[in-house]
Amino acid sequence: MDTGSHLPKTGMIGELSETRYWIYLLLLPSLVIILLVIAYPTIYGMAISFREMRLTRPGLTGWVGFKHYLVMIDDPVFWVALKNTVLWVTFAVVLELGLGFIAATALNRNVPGTGIFAVLILVPYFLPNVVAGHMWALLLDPRLGVINDILVRVGVLGSYKAWFADPNTALAATIFVEAWHGFPFFALLLLAGLKGIPHDLYKAAAVDGAGPIAQFRLITVPMLKSVIAAAVILRVISLVNSPDLLLILTGGGPGDATQVLSLYAFQTAYKDFNFGYASALSVVMFVILMVFAYAYIRLSKIGQE
Amino acid sequence: MATLSLQNVQKSYGGLQVLHGIDVELEDGGFLVLLGPSGCGKSTLLNLIAGLDDISAGDIRIDGRSVIELAPKDRNIAMVFQSYALYPTMTVERNIGFGLEMRGVNGNERSAAVKQAADLLQISHLLDRRPANLSGGQRQRVAMGRAIVRNPDLFLFDEPLSNLDAKLRAEMRTEIKRLHGRLGTSVVYVTHDQIEAMTLGTKVAVMKGGYIQQFADPQTIYEKPANIFVAGFIGSPSMNFVTGTLTSDGRIARFEASGVRVEIPSNSDEMFDARPAVLGIRPEELKVDDGESAMLTGTIDVVEPTGPDTMVTVRIGEQPIVARLPSRFSGKAGETVGLIAHVNSMSLFDYQTELRVPL
Amino acid sequence: MAATRRSRRMAADILTYFVLVSMSLFCIGPIVWMFLTSLKLEADIVTQTMQYIPNRITFQNYVAIWTQSSFPVLIGNSFIVTLITVVVCLATGTLAAYAFSRYTFRGRNTLMLGYLVVRMFPAVMMIIPLYVVLRSVGLIDSRIGLALAYTSFLLPLFVWMLKGFFDAAPKELESAARIDGSTRFGAMLWIVIPLARNGLVASSVFIAIAAWNEFLFALMLTTGQGSRTWPVGLQLMVGEFQLPWGVLAAGGILSILPVMLMFALVQRVMVQGLTAGAIKG
Repeated sequence: MDTGSHLPKTGMIGELSETRYWIYLLLLPSLVIILLVIAYPTIYGMAISFREMRLTRPGLTGWVGFKHYLVMIDDPVFWVALKNTVLWVTFAVVLELGLGFIAATALNRNVPGTGIFAVLILVPYFLPNVVAGHMWALLLDPRLGVINDILVRVGVLGSYKAWFADPNTALAATIFVEAWHGFPFFALLLLAGLKGIPHDLYKAAAVDGAGPIAQFRLITVPMLKSVIAAAVILRVISLVNSPDLLLILTGGGPGDATQVLSLYAFQTAYKDFNFGYASALSVVMFVILMVFAYAYIRLSKIGQE
Repeated sequence: MATLSLQNVQKSYGGLQVLHGIDVELEDGGFLVLLGPSGCGKSTLLNLIAGLDDISAGDIRIDGRSVIELAPKDRNIAMVFQSYALYPTMTVERNIGFGLEMRGVNGNERSAAVKQAADLLQISHLLDRRPANLSGGQRQRVAMGRAIVRNPDLFLFDEPLSNLDAKLRAEMRTEIKRLHGRLGTSVVYVTHDQIEAMTLGTKVAVMKGGYIQQFADPQTIYEKPANIFVAGFIGSPSMNFVTGTLTSDGRIARFEASGVRVEIPSNSDEMFDARPAVLGIRPEELKVDDGESAMLTGTIDVVEPTGPDTMVTVRIGEQPIVARLPSRFSGKAGETVGLIAHVNSMSLFDYQTELRVPL
Repeated sequence: MAATRRSRRMAADILTYFVLVSMSLFCIGPIVWMFLTSLKLEADIVTQTMQYIPNRITFQNYVAIWTQSSFPVLIGNSFIVTLITVVVCLATGTLAAYAFSRYTFRGRNTLMLGYLVVRMFPAVMMIIPLYVVLRSVGLIDSRIGLALAYTSFLLPLFVWMLKGFFDAAPKELESAARIDGSTRFGAMLWIVIPLARNGLVASSVFIAIAAWNEFLFALMLTTGQGSRTWPVGLQLMVGEFQLPWGVLAAGGILSILPVMLMFALVQRVMVQGLTAGAIKG
C-alpha cells in the first residue's frame, strides 16, 4: 500500500548521530534547562538563606551567616509549623493509605464495571488544588455547606459547624480534604502492586489451609511492602512540599492552627518578601525531604544499578 | 559476496575486556559459525562486525576494506536477530523493503525485489499482514526476507533459531543451508547450539571467555578438538573424559588408568613418562568387546534404551563414561563389560594445560 | 458446601460493589455538587433550606464569569503557559529520555538519579531564587518565564515517565533499522518514537495537566494580567470581589473541563505510565 513512499532523509543530524558526540547532543538540551532552572536557583536559594534579602527594604542586604537559622530556633511559629507538618503529613498519609487500600482491593476483584469505577475514583487526583479547595470550602461552609446540612439531618450535628474556623477542627478538616485529593494516588499504585502478585501464591496458600486473613497477612502485605513504602515516601515528599490546599482553605489559620512549614516559608516570601528567612525555612525543609528522598532511592535500588 | 577478515579484534567495556584479540579469516561465500556458551563474547563480536558497537582495538575488513570507521548502514551487511526485530507498525512488505526504501530504491523496483525474496521464502501470501499477526516461523522467514532482499556483502545471524520450537528449528536450519547454497553470500552466524554449528558452518570458531578456543572446519573440530573445553562442548552426548597417565617412547603412546589401557601409535618425537593426561573418547565410538583386547573394563551402572540406540553408563574405576551402543545390547546393571574404540577417534589432553597432545 | 461457597462469593461481590459505589460517590459527589451549584441562581444557593436539586436552572453564572471578569484572558494565559511547558519538555525531554533508555555512558546512573532527586526539591526553595533570577532577566510576570519555572519540576518527571515507555520498545529494532540503512537519529525518529507514541502522548498530557493546575509558582511569579493563569486569577477574584458561589463554581467547572477531557482521552495509557514510572523510578 505504501510502496511508493519515502521517508525523508535525516541529513546532517543523521550523520552527527553516527558520531560519538551523539549521546551528548541528546542530553545537552535538557541539561542546559535543568542547570538553568534547577541547579543554579537551588544553589542561589541556599546562598540567600545566609543573606539578608527583603524586597520591601532594598537597602537591607549582605551576608548574615547563620542569623536566620538562629532566629528560627527562637521562632515559636516555626515550631508550631513543624509540629503541624508532622501531624498533617502523618494523618493524611495514614488516611490515604487506608482508603487507597480499600479501593485497590475492591478494584482488584475485577467485577464487571471495574473500569468505570477506576476512572471515577481517579478523578480527584487530577482536580486542580484551587478548584478542590474552593469546592470543599463550599461543601463545608458554615452557612451553606451541604455536608453540614446532611450531618444535621441525620442527627450527627446539632447545628452547622464552621469546620475551618474552629481551631479544634481546622487541621482535621484540611487533612480530610487532602486525603480526598490524594488517596487515588495510593489506590493506583496499590492496585498495580496487587496485580503483580502471582495468583498461584494464593492458590498455594489456600491448599495449605490459609484463610483469607492469613492470606492477607502472609502474602498480600509482604508482597506489597515495597510498593507501599515507595508510595508513602513519594506522598510524604509531595505533602511536605505543597501548601496549596492549606493556602486556599485556611491560609494557616485560625491563628496558627493549620500553619505548616511549606506554607510558612511561602508566606514569608510572598507576603513579607523576607526572602532570606523564607530561604532558610525552605533549606530546613529541603534537608528533611532529602532524608526521604534518600530512603526512596535506596528502596528503588537505582543507586545500586 | 565478500571475504571477511577480523584482525586482533578487541573490545572492552570500562575496565572489563570481553574480547581478547580475535583473529578470523572467512573466504568468499563461506559460512562462519561463532559458537560458544552465553557470555563468551560471540554476540559482542557480531555487533562489532555489524558496527552496532564500537571496536576498542584491531581491524575488521570486508573484502579487504576496513569498515571500522563506517556506520552500520554503510557496511552493506544484513542481519537477522534472535527476536526478529520486525517493525511492528509496518506491513510485512514494507518490513522487507525497508532497507531498500532507506537507500532510495524506487517503488517499482522495490516491489519487484520484495516479491522475489518473498517467493524464495514462500511468504508471498503474507505481504499485507503485520508482524503481530504472524506465527514464530513466519516472522523468522520475514526477518530472513528483509536480510536477503538487499543482496548484501555479508549476512549476520544472531541466534536466529533459538526462539523456535525443536521441529521448526530443524526445518529452518535446512532452509538456511539451502538459501546459503543458492545465494552464495558469506555468512557469520552466532549460536550456542553445536548441531547448528556442525550442520551449517564451513568454518566454526568456538569461543569462551572472549578467546577463540579453536577455529577450524566442523569435521576437524569434531575429530581433533584443540582442548578439553572444545571437546566437551561439541557432540551430544558429550565426550567421555578419563584421567590417567601417558607414557610415550616416540613410537607408541600408552595411556593408563584404573581399568583403562590404551596404546596409540605416535609419530611425535616427544617422549614422556607417566605424564598426567586426560583421555577423550566419544560415546558413539565405543563398542563392546569382552575379549582380551578390551581397552576399558568396568561395571555397568545404568542402561537407558532410547530406541535406535542404548546409552550405557559404565564405571571404569571411579570414573563414569557413557557409551552409545546398538539397541540390541543386552547387558544389565552390575555386570562387567569391556569396551573398545578406534585409536584414531580418541583424543589426548594434557592434564595441566587441558590442551590437545599431538601424537 | 457448594451453596455456601457460592453465597460467600456473592456476599463478597456485593461488598465489592458497595465499596466501589460509595468510593465513586465520595470522589465524584463533591464535583457533582459543584456542578449543580453552578447551575443555581445565587438566591437558591444562599437560602435557608438546602436545595439538593436546583429548582431553577440558569447558565447566568457561566455568562457572568466569562463576560464580566478577566476569565477568558486567564484561560488563554494558562493555555499558552501549558503549551510552552509541553513543547519545551517534548523537545528536550524526549532526547534525554531516549539517551537514558538506549545508551550506557559514564555518569548515566548519577545523572538519572539527579533527574529523580530534583523532582523532590521543595517548591518554595525553588520559587524564591527563581523569582529573583527571572526578575533580573526581565522574565517575571511573563508566560515564558512561568513555563520555564514549570519545566524545573515537570521536565525531570517527563523524562522519567517517557524513559519507561522507551524501555518497552525493543532495542534490536533500532539495530535492525541501522543495518537497513538508517542513522541512529533516523532509527529513533522513524522506528522508536512511533512505537512509543502512546507514551509520548500520555507523558505530555500528564505534564500538561500539572502545568494547567499549578498554583503556587504562578501566584509568586505572575503579578499582572499579562501572564496570570486561571488558578491565580480565580483565587484572587474570590478574595477581591467576594465572588458569588455560583460564579466561582462555574469558573471551577470551566477550568477543569480541559483536564477532564485530556484525562478521558488517555487515562488508560497514563495510568500505566504513572504506575510504571512511580514503581520503577
